[in-house]
Amino acid sequence: MMTTSSPALPSSRMRAARVVLVVVGALGLAFGGYLMVDTVALRRLPGVALWIGAAIVLHDAVISPLVFGLGVLTRRAGHRLAGAIIVTVQAAIVLGSLMTLIVLPAIAAQGLGPKNPTILPLDYARNLGLFWLTLAVASALISVWLYVRTRRANQRPSRIQS
Amino acid sequence: MRRLMYEARAQLASPVRNPRMATVIGRLLGLAFLLCFGTGLFSHFLQQPLPWMTFPTRPVGLYQVSQGTHIIAGIACFPLLLAKLYVVFPQLFQYPPVTSFANFLERASIALFVGASLVEITIGLLNTYQWYPFPFPFKQVHFALAFVIVGSLLVHIGVKLPLIAAHWRAEPAPGPEERHPVDTVEATSADDEGLSRTRGLTGRVLAYIDSTPELPARTSRRGFLATVALAVAAVVGLTAGQTFAPLDAVNVFGPRKKGVGQQGVPVNRTSAQAKVATAALSADWVLTLAVGDTERSFSRADLAALPQTDVDLPIACVEGWSQMAAWRGVRLRDLVDAAGGSPESDLRLISLEQRGGFKQTEMGSEYVRDPLTLVALELNGEILDLEHGYPARMIAPGRPGVLQTKWLSRIEAIDA
Repeated sequence: MMTTSSPALPSSRMRAARVVLVVVGALGLAFGGYLMVDTVALRRLPGVALWIGAAIVLHDAVISPLVFGLGVLTRRAGHRLAGAIIVTVQAAIVLGSLMTLIVLPAIAAQGLGPKNPTILPLDYARNLGLFWLTLAVASALISVWLYVRTRRANQRPSRIQS
Repeated sequence: MRRLMYEARAQLASPVRNPRMATVIGRLLGLAFLLCFGTGLFSHFLQQPLPWMTFPTRPVGLYQVSQGTHIIAGIACFPLLLAKLYVVFPQLFQYPPVTSFANFLERASIALFVGASLVEITIGLLNTYQWYPFPFPFKQVHFALAFVIVGSLLVHIGVKLPLIAAHWRAEPAPGPEERHPVDTVEATSADDEGLSRTRGLTGRVLAYIDSTPELPARTSRRGFLATVALAVAAVVGLTAGQTFAPLDAVNVFGPRKKGVGQQGVPVNRTSAQAKVATAALSADWVLTLAVGDTERSFSRADLAALPQTDVDLPIACVEGWSQMAAWRGVRLRDLVDAAGGSPESDLRLISLEQRGGFKQTEMGSEYVRDPLTLVALELNGEILDLEHGYPARMIAPGRPGVLQTKWLSRIEAIDA
């Protein structure tokens, strides 16, 4: 059973709010569609549709299975370790991958040659490497700390359970 | 197929994938989207105002803050959107795929919402790198998609409102090992319906996954939230220094760096791109002011002989970077006055640029009469560099960089 501490909205107000949201949202969608057709050349629109479709496929068929596989593999590899250690390693891999997704295009654009030297002036490849290194060191330190803490807790005779 | 869909949902069930988490992450993502939309509209109308619009000129860093926020909130959308999609991912395997026409519309709008959001933040990011590998124009598509996204967001909130309301606050003390199926549909009961286990390769893969140990639910949830928080902190913290000075020291991934550029200021459009070098460096350059039928021309020496004013104003670009700088030059309203014009009229600013969307722009009278608006001749104590608009450029408080016209050639009063 679903119970909440706060009183639920009266159903008539809820209904009105939903109708307003859906109607205003649909108008926004329609206006966006109108802008698209009105301001973008017709021969460019298939490209927009292609990118939107490709984004969905890339997420649902590539990124999500990879993340799922990462979860399974890290849990199996670390099955003797405390959950907190597995989560720490997972977090480090996710953070590194996310930053790589964001910074790789910068490295690519830099390789193609920016329009002037004040655009993309940093050494992004080196910084990304340092970022991964920092993640590796930090997650290793945290994992060791968690491991030692768990072992001490396990070795100490527990009074609560007796 | 039905069995596979149930299997997928059961396998993907996780302590993190529940309506409460969807509400928590969804609220943050919704906030980031609305921040982007609001600041984006502000930037759009600054550049293409409707006839009745006037804009505030204070605080002087208004555009620096609004556009900086646009880019910071936009980059925060990467971890938040991916986290939101992670939480609701099992919904993809709803079976039957479509239950009614309304359900079809809802699922179609979700697909559009997800695809458009991913494309919007991706092309926005690429625009900050000034890299355009996509087969459509950035500005128009980014603008139109914003309405598609906010429209689908409202539809989505409308559809999910009862669920959002029910999970707005945390439930008091959930069971420690409770596994929420997504929504309130019972997803894990597939095995009880007399379906035999999948055989063959699929079966073996599923058995392998089944034998993988689960993490404690609390650890899972906390780990997920900590990862999202750290990810937002990392993508924002390591890039925001391009606009937010206190973070300059840790700006290792920002597309711009404060202080990098001629006279310590980054450049967007160069003199080579604008093809202005010959005209700008010519000895007979003059700035012409046209008021009604009378025209008055000022050489650079004439401008330098007029009373000079010093102001500190940021140059803030639509791509999110900004740079504080010290400018010296002639107050625009004094110049308009000297040419016999009124500071209450709007101006048309014309650059030496051969072509480009901002070769000719308009300036509202609120900026013309502002004492901080200069026709600048010097930047950070030196004669304006050619890349910063030599012989003379406009600098006004609270306007986007593209409207701070470089290589000024002609200023016309627009008859009211």
